Amino acid sequence: MAKKSGGFERKSKAASEIPTASMADIAFLLLIFFMVSTTFRREQPRHLAFPQAQATQKIDEKRKNILHVWIEPNGDVYINDARVPMEQVGELVLPLYRASERALLISIRGDRDVPYRFINSVTEELRTANAVRVFFHTDLESRLTRARR
Amino acid sequence: MALLKRKSKVSDEIPTASMADIAFLLLIFFLTTTVFEEEKGLPIVLPEASAMEQAVSQSNIIHFLVQEDGAIVIRRGESQAEQVVSYSEIEGIMRQEIANNPLIIAAVKTDPNSPYRHMINVLDELQKANAERVSLQLWER
Repeated sequence: MAKKSGGFERKSKAASEIPTASMADIAFLLLIFFMVSTTFRREQPRHLAFPQAQATQKIDEKRKNILHVWIEPNGDVYINDARVPMEQVGELVLPLYRASERALLISIRGDRDVPYRFINSVTEELRTANAVRVFFHTDLESRLTRARR
Repeated sequence: MALLKRKSKVSDEIPTASMADIAFLLLIFFLTTTVFEEEKGLPIVLPEASAMEQAVSQSNIIHFLVQEDGAIVIRRGESQAEQVVSYSEIEGIMRQEIANNPLIIAAVKTDPNSPYRHMINVLDELQKANAERVSLQLWER
């Protein structure tokens, strides 16, 4: 019994605390990582197949100045998760365009199979709102896939 | 009591030696799996609604007619002569046109029922040819 007790004492001589000196470092590291990488998703992703283009460019613009206009294959238009009737797109974009101090850039995210008349209607609506800086969202296409077209 | 003492012989510390490993493992996992949603596409500036309709000499226009099935027809200026081209030829043709006439306007006229991707294919070729003056229109017949 005495021997056993001695064993216990030896063991408890070792530090029984969790070393917390580096805990703050780890926590801050994670915190900073999440702060930097987190992008607040403003809208639900819509699963569309975007057209592909070799000339696809990266668009350098502040996130808050970009408005996504989604066009489903059946011609439905969605802005900020809400379905917008085609003839109201201009009215909806105009206040956003004014609020952005004319810096608004429109990302036209149309499915590759949308009949072109819907795209044309959207661009015409955007023109009525004076939001003339647009880009057609595309996926970068490699030369390899192009050859098969 | 004796039973209790025996039990307490088992290490009562949470092993923290691997804590940093776990944290870094998580960190690396997130670093490699995070995909940043980037904005990319084909930029174009639409004509303003208030812009006056400008009369453009027909000789400065080259029409790219995109048909419903994706076939491309080129119509130059006033001539009604039509030339069927493939997508891969458009870039070369456009570079040639710009070299001949820097003021040339590429008018892409797309059939209302043509899938959007055909228009993008043409716009892609035009942007590869560095065409600055591009007009997108609905092809109303």
